[in-house]
Amino acid sequence: MLFVMLIGSPVTHAIDVITNITADTASITTAQLRRIYSMRQVKWANGVPITVYVLSSNNIIHQKFCKETLRLFPYQLDRIWNKLTFSGMGIAPTPVKNMEELIKAVKSTTGAIGYIENINEVSDVNVLKIDE
Amino acid sequence: MSMYLKLMNKYRHAFICLSALLTLSVQASDDKSANPLKIHGFVAQGVIDVDGSNFVSNENKLSTELTEIGLNTSYQLSDDFRFAAQAVYLNGGNRYNEGLRVDYFLLDWDAYSSEQWQANLFVGRFKSPHWLHSSTRDIPFERPSIILPQGLYFDGFRDIAVGGDGAALKLTYNNDEFGEFDFNFSRGKSPINSEDAEVILSKFAQGSIKHELDSQISVYWRPVFSQWRFGLTLLDSEFNYTSASLDSYVNGEFEFQNYTINAIYEGEQWEFTSEFLQTRFLTKGFYAPQFYQDNLGQGGYFQARYKVDQTLTIIGRYEEFYADKDDKKGHKLEERSYGTVPNYFGFQNDAMLGFSYKFSNNLQINAEHHWMKGAARLNPIVLPNPQVNKEHWKVWAIQLMYWF
Repeated sequence: MLFVMLIGSPVTHAIDVITNITADTASITTAQLRRIYSMRQVKWANGVPITVYVLSSNNIIHQKFCKETLRLFPYQLDRIWNKLTFSGMGIAPTPVKNMEELIKAVKSTTGAIGYIENINEVSDVNVLKIDE
Repeated sequence: MSMYLKLMNKYRHAFICLSALLTLSVQASDDKSANPLKIHGFVAQGVIDVDGSNFVSNENKLSTELTEIGLNTSYQLSDDFRFAAQAVYLNGGNRYNEGLRVDYFLLDWDAYSSEQWQANLFVGRFKSPHWLHSSTRDIPFERPSIILPQGLYFDGFRDIAVGGDGAALKLTYNNDEFGEFDFNFSRGKSPINSEDAEVILSKFAQGSIKHELDSQISVYWRPVFSQWRFGLTLLDSEFNYTSASLDSYVNGEFEFQNYTINAIYEGEQWEFTSEFLQTRFLTKGFYAPQFYQDNLGQGGYFQARYKVDQTLTIIGRYEEFYADKDDKKGHKLEERSYGTVPNYFGFQNDAMLGFSYKFSNNLQINAEHHWMKGAARLNPIVLPNPQVNKEHWKVWAIQLMYWF
């Protein structure tokens, strides 16, 4: 019975955080991730500007990342980003169309950060250990 | 043909802005992610119906004077410097002056950046970052309702409250134990043209009004991983009126000192917001050389939003505003004017119900109904008009909005 339930369930992966190899960090805290995604920290400790890549707000992986990793609701981030964009006080993360584009963008952009559902599908990026 | 030309002339700013916006939206969609140039914009059009006041127009009929168009750009000049600018076209009828505006035009200096601290200095024309909705009051999809609570976000003061020419400092501090702290300080003044002045001071004011330098401070705090956020703001602002040779008014001086506190709770489905204002409004001269009035007004609102699902949000809000906290029913106001100004010009309460529906990530419709009592926040505030403004009046509005 348990076997039937297991094979009947969709395969789900935890969300991992990836960075461009120029980002000089191996681990990150949840609080720091929240700061980066809410654009309160815009440079890495080594001074390299952080470029944040995201999927669209209604993407299920984005929603999972917001709620489970950042402990924020997607609308809270949308609000922060819109406020920055339309008041001139900052810039919002760069949206990409799909996971392939996100991985490609993180690999090719200095200081970039993003997230991925299945870490086995990617190489040439840093995978950050997330500390509580 | 002449009617067409008249229409074209009347809405030429809107046409220019819309054409530019549509052209650039195509370019923006092709933006490369690492591109230092960002272009965004929005367009919103609605209908609004007011029964019992001149809030939007002097005739009580359905109006299309609910247009907001904006286009902005941000260009990263270097790791530490960024340029940003936005132009907006607004048409809100009597609510504020219709036309094209340079909303902000600034240089952003990333003065200091670390894992805990972030300091930015903005020089040029900036939008006020202080109140909950001050920087996004014209951004249709970013404010909670089509019409904001008028006690705090009085449309008549839009052009003098929305920002200023000068400098603003934003300092953020993040502490893993105590939470997130924001500190904003700005010093600047608003350019006021004769049309802006007419909205507030009536067409009988032939002189000019000048905004002297104003200072604003705000502090925000979000406890660690909390759904709550708390804020405090202070404003000190001064205006001088210089009368014309043939004028219904004399030289005068207006001073505002505003103190607000706010709290917001952002849950998965429920969201609660509250802001309270105490405003000292000092008038010297203007009506007569020896005129002196020092009022302490108060206002506040409580707002609840419920997200039914990812597309539909229902909103309800109740607001009260009193021009003079010691005369909440306006009887002293009526006495002072020998009965020419009815008591209901001393307060304004607003009960509102509405909803917003998101068709996609950047297309939304908002609809709402307001039941108003009182007329303290109707333009022009210096010249109450009881002939058209009744004690009880209603507003409903629907607005469709798109952004990129």
